[in-house]
Amino acid sequence: MKTAATDKKIRSRRSLSRNDRFTLAAFIGIPTLMQIIFLWLPALITIVLSFTYWNGINVSDIKWAGLANYKNIFFGTPVFYEALKNNLVWLLWFTFIATPLGILLAYQIDRKIKGHKIYETVYYIPVVLSLAIIGIIWNFMLQPGGFVQGVMGRDIGNAVSIWGNYSINTYVIMGVASWRHIGYIMLLYLAGLKSVDPSLREASAIDGATEWQTFKKIILPTMRPVNIIIVVITIIESLRAFDLVYIIYGTSTAWPLLNILVFQNFAGQGISMKGAAYAVILLVLCIGPILLYLRNVFKEDLK
Amino acid sequence: MSDVNNGISRRSVLKGAAIGGVGLAAGGSLLAGCGKKKVTGDVHFTIRGNLSDAGAKINVAVNDAYTAKTGNKVISQAVNSDDFQNNFVQIMQGTPDDAFGWMAGWRTNARADAGLLADVSEQIKALGSTLSAAAIQGATNPTDGKQYIIPTTYYPWGLHYRKSTMQELGLDPENIATWDDLIKLCEATQKKGLVGYAMGDKGGWEAMGTFDIINMRLNGYQFHIDLLNGKEQWTDSKVVDVFTHMAQLIPFMNKNFLDIEWDGCRDLLLQKKAGAMMMGSWFANDFKAKSQADYDDLWIVAFPEMNAEHGIDSIDAPLDGVSVAANGKNPEGGADLAQFWGSKEGIDAAVAAGDTNIYISSDFDTSTYDAFNKQKLAVLGEAKNIGFFLDRDTRGDFAGPVVGPALQSFLKNPKDVAKILENVQKQWDALPAL
Repeated sequence: MKTAATDKKIRSRRSLSRNDRFTLAAFIGIPTLMQIIFLWLPALITIVLSFTYWNGINVSDIKWAGLANYKNIFFGTPVFYEALKNNLVWLLWFTFIATPLGILLAYQIDRKIKGHKIYETVYYIPVVLSLAIIGIIWNFMLQPGGFVQGVMGRDIGNAVSIWGNYSINTYVIMGVASWRHIGYIMLLYLAGLKSVDPSLREASAIDGATEWQTFKKIILPTMRPVNIIIVVITIIESLRAFDLVYIIYGTSTAWPLLNILVFQNFAGQGISMKGAAYAVILLVLCIGPILLYLRNVFKEDLK
Repeated sequence: MSDVNNGISRRSVLKGAAIGGVGLAAGGSLLAGCGKKKVTGDVHFTIRGNLSDAGAKINVAVNDAYTAKTGNKVISQAVNSDDFQNNFVQIMQGTPDDAFGWMAGWRTNARADAGLLADVSEQIKALGSTLSAAAIQGATNPTDGKQYIIPTTYYPWGLHYRKSTMQELGLDPENIATWDDLIKLCEATQKKGLVGYAMGDKGGWEAMGTFDIINMRLNGYQFHIDLLNGKEQWTDSKVVDVFTHMAQLIPFMNKNFLDIEWDGCRDLLLQKKAGAMMMGSWFANDFKAKSQADYDDLWIVAFPEMNAEHGIDSIDAPLDGVSVAANGKNPEGGADLAQFWGSKEGIDAAVAAGDTNIYISSDFDTSTYDAFNKQKLAVLGEAKNIGFFLDRDTRGDFAGPVVGPALQSFLKNPKDVAKILENVQKQWDALPAL
């Protein structure tokens, strides 16, 4: 046993030449260094700044504020809860409507239903656009004086209120965001489905499983790696949402999101560093569920 | 245009000054010109707005005139106004353009205190008596008594309307003297199928104009300024009263006021879909760009009296001008260009390019103003107290992030006013001392 272990050690050591080791070190070291400099350091600085008052100009002006910024946000800023609600709605909508729709589409297209190529293309097109561009497109379509209003024969004076109508604007924004998200999920899932061994399906069909049973018991479990990616993407996309809404509403918090508040409070206006505090809240919200989920997944994998 | 050699350009400066030397004021600028070293080098200038805007084209024309005069090339770039304001601190800490169109008030003074703007007191002195004491006062940073902006133009906030529309409706807005008159006017316009009181508050700041004027009319200028600087409470019944009056206007507004911004409002008026609009007169440039007839049709009157004690003695009339970045590559050049903007030559270039602004410089002959500009002066002349507009009269982390959303919530749900005002006060109290 001892010899086997040393054998292994020698082999593994041998397999890494000096060159290899250098390459590996570079491959791991450089990205890690960049991560630390450009990601972790600013994140840490943001966390520290969230406990201060500062106008963002002279470092000597930084004043310790303790929990004041957080207190201000949690107890004095009603718009924070509106933003939280909107982010939550976004997350729920993506989780229970947009993402399942994307998966369903992928499943149907993978079964090569009639015209599947056309569906694939149609749903895929929005994915190549950034959400900012999508914001510009839909804003142009729906705003007063926009294309859709024009087609309906409405001018600015009697344009149908959409972005400013609070009984529908949330759904319209969700629809627009889903327009892209569905295609994105479809694409990811489709790639995964292609790698599922067709014999698995045949076997389940022979065993008399229904379509739903096959999907639930065979396809979904074999798609595990893709599922993880999709869950993470859905959570992150919902919480980091910004550009689409920023294009439509600007920094006015007419339809607030946490990221809009980060931007609004950072954007050279204030000295409260509330923006940093919003960013930290967002960071915690993003990292929390993802870490939990990944931990669960890895635990199960180890079993 | 840029490669005029220095000898020639200096001669042309002297020549220009000699010709103008007959006038007293120009004599002053001749003296100032003698005492100063010739400023050279390219100057970078930021225009707030889109290059396609009428206003931006006027900016370029003024910069071209500066190049023609001095031989110093001006490189102009247009930046979205909101983006420029939002990223101002970051831009100024990098390598900003040397000079840029800017606004007097909090936005200048706070940034000057932070060392981001260059002192232009010398240029203000050189412009001398062409600037009124009030204008210099308005441009002065209270912290150190220096100026960080060359004020060039200003405009009143008032009720704008189209003369032809009102004539067709048989209405005479020139004679609205009281709040009830205004309401009656709105009612009458609405009855004819038009928007009574055009409003667009998607940008979050537009409704501040209406708030400002009602507060100044009801409670007076001093209360208004004190409120914006934390010396009065937002929960005061006097403030509630302002919102009660604002709520009376909501039924006359276009229903989609949270869908459109100020430019949507402007279009409502331009397309004859609205009666009155409370706005700053700067948008008149766009009317003129559309057609001279549209511009000639535009008119402004002061917001009516609401409290006899204060009459119509106050108005929002923001000072606009040119500021110089402390960190620019050529701050001297920037300051020289800024001074040019405030001088007669700069104004002449703007006017030649079709500018409809009114100028602060007394070097400009007001008798050449068109009827609309004379009316603007008349509206301004009725006011003793000049406000700069809410987002310049109070700190930046209060106006945009707190008052803006509060006004939007109020327009959405006017009944929530007590809760909204309580929140505004709470958020003011939570602000750290500057």
